[in-house]
Amino acid sequence: MSERRIGVYVCHCGGNISDYVDVERVVGTVQGAPGVVVAKHTMFACSDATQQEMAADIKEQKLDGLVVASCSPKLHTTTFRGVAKRAGLNPYTYNQVNIREQCSWAHTDNHEGATLKATGLVKAGIARSRLSVPLEPMVVQTTQKAMVVGAGIAGLRAAIGLADVGLQVFLVEREKKLGGWVGQFGAMYARNRKGTDLIAALVAEIQKRPAITVYTNAELVAKSGSFGNYVATVRLDETPAKELQVDVGSIVVATGFDTYQPEPGEFGFGTDGVVTLPEFKAMIDASPGPLTYRGKRVKTIAYIYCVGSRQPSGHEYCSRFCCAATAHASLRVAELGRAGARPPPEPGVHQYHLYRDIRTYGKFELMYTDSRESGAVYMKFADDAPPVVALGDDGKLKVTTRDTLTGGEELTIPADLVVLVTGMVPRKNNELMTLLKVPVGTDGFFNEIHPKLRPVETVVDGVLIAGACQGPKSASESVASGLAAVTQSAAILKKGFAELDPLVATVNASACTWCGKCVEVCPYSAIAKVAADGREVAEISASTCKGCGGCAPACPENAIDLKGYTDAQIRAAIDGMLEEKAA
Amino acid sequence: MSALVDVGLIDDVKRFGAADVSACFSCGQCTAMCPLSSNDGTFPRRLIRYAQVGMKDALLSSKELWTCFYCGECSDTCPTQADPGGFMAAARRYAIASYDKTRLAKTMYTKPVLGTLIALVLAAFFALFMYREHGPQHASALKLFDFIPEPLIHYTGVAVMALVGLAGLAGILSAARSIAKKEGLSLGSVVGRGAGKAWWSALWTESLGQKRYRSDCQTAQEASPWYRKRWLIHAMTMWGFLGLFAATIIDYGLALIHVKPTGAEVPIWYPVRLLGTLAGLALIYGTTMLIVDRLRKANRSASDSTFADWLLLTLLWITGVTGFGIELALYLPHAPAWGYWVFLVHVSIAMELMLLLPFTKFAHAIYRPVALFFVARGKEKEAGPG
Repeated sequence: MSERRIGVYVCHCGGNISDYVDVERVVGTVQGAPGVVVAKHTMFACSDATQQEMAADIKEQKLDGLVVASCSPKLHTTTFRGVAKRAGLNPYTYNQVNIREQCSWAHTDNHEGATLKATGLVKAGIARSRLSVPLEPMVVQTTQKAMVVGAGIAGLRAAIGLADVGLQVFLVEREKKLGGWVGQFGAMYARNRKGTDLIAALVAEIQKRPAITVYTNAELVAKSGSFGNYVATVRLDETPAKELQVDVGSIVVATGFDTYQPEPGEFGFGTDGVVTLPEFKAMIDASPGPLTYRGKRVKTIAYIYCVGSRQPSGHEYCSRFCCAATAHASLRVAELGRAGARPPPEPGVHQYHLYRDIRTYGKFELMYTDSRESGAVYMKFADDAPPVVALGDDGKLKVTTRDTLTGGEELTIPADLVVLVTGMVPRKNNELMTLLKVPVGTDGFFNEIHPKLRPVETVVDGVLIAGACQGPKSASESVASGLAAVTQSAAILKKGFAELDPLVATVNASACTWCGKCVEVCPYSAIAKVAADGREVAEISASTCKGCGGCAPACPENAIDLKGYTDAQIRAAIDGMLEEKAA
Repeated sequence: MSALVDVGLIDDVKRFGAADVSACFSCGQCTAMCPLSSNDGTFPRRLIRYAQVGMKDALLSSKELWTCFYCGECSDTCPTQADPGGFMAAARRYAIASYDKTRLAKTMYTKPVLGTLIALVLAAFFALFMYREHGPQHASALKLFDFIPEPLIHYTGVAVMALVGLAGLAGILSAARSIAKKEGLSLGSVVGRGAGKAWWSALWTESLGQKRYRSDCQTAQEASPWYRKRWLIHAMTMWGFLGLFAATIIDYGLALIHVKPTGAEVPIWYPVRLLGTLAGLALIYGTTMLIVDRLRKANRSASDSTFADWLLLTLLWITGVTGFGIELALYLPHAPAWGYWVFLVHVSIAMELMLLLPFTKFAHAIYRPVALFFVARGKEKEAGPG
C-alpha cells in the first residue's frame, strides 16, 4: 500500500482530557509515525477555528485520512465527517478516537496510565485509518406509497396526512370497523368532544381521498424487500381467505393498546360494583341522567388509581392518560348527578379519589382543580399501603384506606361503585412484531430510535411507529405522533430516493460455503441465499443491513467483512494499541 | 379501629356556610398564618380536611373549633380562596346544631324564614303571656310591677332558666364528652384534680379577659382605633350582658333579704343601679358597634352575616336598649306611659334571648369555655411534671 497521508488531532477538551492526559506527550509519540503527516493538539477540536484549521490542513497537506482523538463518537462523528466532506476528503476515511469517556474521565486517579492508554488508543485509530478506504452512501429509489397498520385515531389521521402530502396510502385495519378505541368513546377530555364524532369526521375525510385504500378485516402478514421498496402482504378475512401484495416505501405502525384487566380479587375485582375505568366510561357515556348501577342511583363512588400501573412486578410505567381521564369522568358524573339533585350545595354524588400520585400534567391540571372544587375528595395512599376493597355485611362495598392529610387514621368509605383506574398495556401482537422486526422495550411497547430526536422512527428504516403502540398516549398525543410519522414518511419518500450509510456487511462469495449461520444471527433478515457461479452463497442486502456486525464473527469461513470495520482494520488497531506498553 | 366515613358531612357543614371550602387542597397556608394555631392543636387546615373527607366525630370533637376568633387572616391569604375562616365559623354553627339534640338549633341556623317566624312567635307569646295578667298603668309614677306582676316575671324566668339549664347542660355534656375522648381524658377530668387552674384559664383569663383574642388576634384589628377593636367591642357586649344579668339577680336577691324591694327608687350611685347602668351602656355600645360593623362589612368576620348573627344581635340590642329605656323612664320626672310598653318588650325579649341560648349563636358562650378548658388542660399536661 502506498504511503498514507493522515492528519491526527488530539483534543484537550478544555481540560476535560488534558487535566489527566498529557496531550502534548501523546502528540509527540505519534509525530512522524508511518503515514502521519500532521499531528497537533488543540484546546477544542469541535471549535469553528479548529475545524477550519483541519480543513486547511486536509487541502494543503493533501490528507487522505483523518483521526480526531476527543470525546465519544456519539457526540462528534458527524461533526468531523462534515469537516472531511467540506474539505474534499471522503467522510468515511475519518476515524474518531474516544479519549474522554473511555480514558481521561475513567482514570482521573492515574495520569501516567491515562496518558499511556490515550497514546495506545490514538495509535489504534491511526492504524485503522491506514487501512481505510473511501466509501460512498448507497442510493435507493423509493416507492411513493405508504401503508398504515391500524385505523385508530392515530392511524386514520396519519393516512389522511400521507394522502395530503401526495402519497398513495393503504390503510389496514384488523377489525370490521374503523376507529379503534376512540371510536367507542363518548365525551373525552379535555374539551368534551365525543370520540365517536371525532372518528366520524376522520372517516369522512378518508372517504374524500381516492389516494387512500382501506382494508378492514385485514392484517399485515408478511413484509419483504428493503427500505423504500417493501412488499407488504395483506390477508383479508374473507371466505375464501384472500391475500394481496402491495409495494410500499414506508409502513406506519399504529396498532394501539389494550387496557389492563385486573386479576380476580385485585382490589375486589369480580365483586358486583367493582368496575374498570373503560367499563365506567361506557356507563357514563350511556347514562342519560344521574348515574345508576343495576337500576340503583349511584351516590358514592370510590376511585382507586394506578391499578396495574407503576407496579414493581408488572407494568412499571405510568399510563399517563388515566389521571386526566378519571378527573374528567368525575366531572361528568358530578354534572349528571347535579341534573337530578336538589339545588346547591348538594353535589348529588360523593366521589372519593384514592391515588398514589395525581399526574394531570399540563393544562389537565385545571380539570383536576375543577373536579376537586366540584366536591370530589382526593386522598393519597402510601405505595406500601394500598386501599382494601371488601363487601360489607350490609351488602355495600367498603373501601378502607388511610388519609395522609388527616394524620393517617384508618377510614372506611361506603361506596355504591368502586372504579379501578386501569391503564394501557401493550397489545399482544407477536406475529406483527416478528414480521416487522421492530424491537419492543421492557414494557412491551414498540421502541423508537431516540425518544427526543427520532421519536417515531424505528431501527428498521422506513418502518415508523405512531400512537399508543409505542407507549401510553392520549388521543391528541397519538394524533401528533401519527402526523410526525407522516412527516418522516414524506422525508424518506418524497425525494424519490434515499441515501444509506455504506457501513454494511459484505460477503466474499468465493469464501462462502452457505452454512446459513449468518442468516440465523441477522436480526434484520438482510441475508438471503443466492446462486453464484453455480454455487449457493449468502448475499447481504445493503439496503436492509444495519451494519450491526453480528454476522461477521458468526461466519466460520471469515467470508464476511463489515465495511469500515474490516477484520484487517480491527487487527491493525489492536496491534497499534499494543505498541504502547506500560513502562 | 376504622372510622366509617360520613360521605354527606361536607354537604351538611355547607348548609351552615363555607360555600367555597371545596376549593381547599390542604396546602396548610392557613395553619401557618394563624396566630392562634399551635403545635398542640393545629387548625384550620386539619379541620377542613376532616369535613371534606367525612370524619364527623373527629370534627365535632375538635377543641380547635373554638380556639378560633375569626380574625380572617387565613381567608385573606388563602391561595385557593377557600375561606378557611368562614369554614371555621360554619363548622362552629354545625357543631352547635350537632351538640343540640332537639334539632331546634339546626332549624334556627339553616331555615331563616322559619327561624324568624319562631323568634317572632316566641316574642309574641311571652308578651301576651305577661300582658294577660297585666294590672293598671299608674300615671303618677312608673309602677312597673303593678303593670306586670313581679311573681309572674319571676316564675316565668325560673321556668325559662330551668329549660335553658337542661338543654345547655345536655349540650355541654355532649361537647365535653366528645372532646375529652379525643384528648384522651375522662369526663371526670372536668372536675378532677388540676381542673381548677384550667377552668380559671378558660373562664377568667380567656373568656372574660379575652387574653389571646386581645393579644394574639391583633392583625385584623391593628388599623382600628382602640374603641373599635374587635375584641373590645365583643368584650363590651359580653361584659354588658353579664353585668345586666348580675344586676338583675342581685336586685332580686336584695329584695329577697329585704334590703331593697324590687322596683324601689334608689339614687344613681346605688351599687346595683350603677352596675346596671354601666352594663347597659356597655351592651348598647357593643351590640350597636357589632351591628354597624356587620352593616359596613368592616372586617372579615363581619362580611358574611347569617340570619343567626342578626338574630342574636337583634335580641341583645333590644334587650340592652329597652333595659336602658326603662332606667330612663323610671327617673324621668313624669312617669311616661311608653315606659310600661318598653318594659313589656324588655321582659319578653330578655326571656326569649335566654330561652334560645342553647339553640342560637348565643350557644358559643357555653361551648367556647368548655373547649378552652381542654386547651388549657392540654397545655398543662404538656408542661406538667414527669
